[in-house]
Amino acid sequence: MTGPAGDAPGRPGSRTGGPRGAQPPGCILAIETSCDDTCAAVVTAEGELLSNRIASQGLLHSRYGGVVPEVASRRHLEVLDAVRADALETAGVTLSDIQTVAVTRGPGLIGALLVGLSSAKALAAARALPLVAVDHLHGHVVAGTLGPDALEAPYLCLVASGGHTFIARVDDPARYTVLGSTLDDAAGEAFDKGARLLGLPYPGGPALDRLARGGNGEAFRFPRSAPATTGGRDLDFSFSGLKTALLYKIRDLGEAETERRRADLAASYQRAIVEALAARVRQAIERERLPRLAIGGGVAANSELRERLRTVCEEAGVLISVPPVELCTDNAAMIGAAARFTPAIPYPEYLDLDAAARLP
Amino acid sequence: MNVLGFDTSTAVSAACVLRTDGEAFEVFPAPGRLTAPPGHARELMPALARCLKQAGVGFPDLDAIAVGVGPGAFTGLRIGVSTARALAHANATELLPVSSLAALAAGSGERLSLPLIDAKRGQVFAALYDGAQARWEPFAAAPEVLAARLRAAAVDPLALGDGSVRFREVLEAAGVRVASAESGTHVVRGLSVCRLAAAAAPAPPDTVLPDYLRPPDAKPR
Ligand SMILES: [Zn+2]
Repeated sequence: MTGPAGDAPGRPGSRTGGPRGAQPPGCILAIETSCDDTCAAVVTAEGELLSNRIASQGLLHSRYGGVVPEVASRRHLEVLDAVRADALETAGVTLSDIQTVAVTRGPGLIGALLVGLSSAKALAAARALPLVAVDHLHGHVVAGTLGPDALEAPYLCLVASGGHTFIARVDDPARYTVLGSTLDDAAGEAFDKGARLLGLPYPGGPALDRLARGGNGEAFRFPRSAPATTGGRDLDFSFSGLKTALLYKIRDLGEAETERRRADLAASYQRAIVEALAARVRQAIERERLPRLAIGGGVAANSELRERLRTVCEEAGVLISVPPVELCTDNAAMIGAAARFTPAIPYPEYLDLDAAARLP
Repeated sequence: MNVLGFDTSTAVSAACVLRTDGEAFEVFPAPGRLTAPPGHARELMPALARCLKQAGVGFPDLDAIAVGVGPGAFTGLRIGVSTARALAHANATELLPVSSLAALAAGSGERLSLPLIDAKRGQVFAALYDGAQARWEPFAAAPEVLAARLRAAAVDPLALGDGSVRFREVLEAAGVRVASAESGTHVVRGLSVCRLAAAAAPAPPDTVLPDYLRPPDAKPR
């Protein structure tokens, strides 16, 4: 189990006012099980992050070469109660201090979502608490609004992960407007597929990032996602052509040469993804004229992307907000963050609430 | 003891509150619903709330939560078990896991019963009960294989449950008796779950898991 508990801002010991364990105002328990991480967090209505616990299933799914929904759902049920207990304990509160339960309703793997949603509904109903049904993507967009350096609207947000890639405009943290999104693969998917072609273990993103550090990003030229002509929005992405280009390049080079130039291939492939994301971000900054860019999603942990976006923002004279990695990858703190800006459903109106693999 | 019992191993959410005074308040879905698509996320909690309301019992007044742990449809089982664990935890009540096949058998009214729950992919989850005693432990099999096993054992139980409804033709052709289509005995009743819970050993909530009886389809590479 991993989490930022140790130095999380606002952990009970460092909070001002009230003894440790005193009931924080508007204490929100948040649960997130939309994909392959089992997550629970406690945040306050004021945006204090009290705990953020994640049980990653990465190793479990690496045996299968990708996330297996049935395996993920089973594991969520096995560990969710322990993760929740850990989140409460780390926050220095008990279930009786919780005043609102927040949970991811979608989008995501339906069977996985249902484990968290069922648990959240029952926890809330048992004590007649209100429930907040959170859009997972809204969570990514407002993850940076927690903590002492809270991100303030308006801002642009790039969310890039294994499941989603989009740029949004946020004028008010209660909603976001998607300006462009991927038409096919998500950026993280492109990383994983490229990594697989290069013989790297799943999940491939971090491994490819490491391999690329020893290579030349200009050694090979891979296509930079540019789908604007096919009826999409200017700021849409496309990554499916990229992995095909890598596949052909590997075929052309042959086994021995591919092996010899793996680092260059990884660096050039990563460069193409990073440049595609950076180009769209630059376009969005020029068009939308907002003072700040925030990034989120697992791909936001990529070191080259972070560097590149810092440069883009510096050149454009806008501020960049890069939350810590544990707030970028899937987590429940961001679900608690979005819950602060989402109307709560009073008991018992949420009893028939269903999960949704896709949200409109 | 106030017991709340429910089962989500099939397409329907069945629930019951068995009150301290022995009175039962039940949501008993119609057997016709067993072949409809499941909707546990929409139906389970409202069913629990309805039983509690009729019984005049609140969540904090419950002494035990009893849940059917399958075997059955995986997603349904997880909704039921996840709900049960959270309720038991929130109220610090006992959690009593019950076999869904045993609960089905308990509602049969016959001495020798063959509870069958649809296992998808052409199979049923089956067990053979002599009264409350399991003569055959739960297993998954194609109905033809099950019929052959019954013939070899020379037993003549009454088959019931959505698995028997689904494979009625195959089973009857093999000489297996199947309860009539409209019979309520095809439903895993909340009342049966409550009654069996009286004999079940309480389990720490976070150790209760569905009895999947079958591994996930995916194979490690
Ligand atoms: Zn995500």
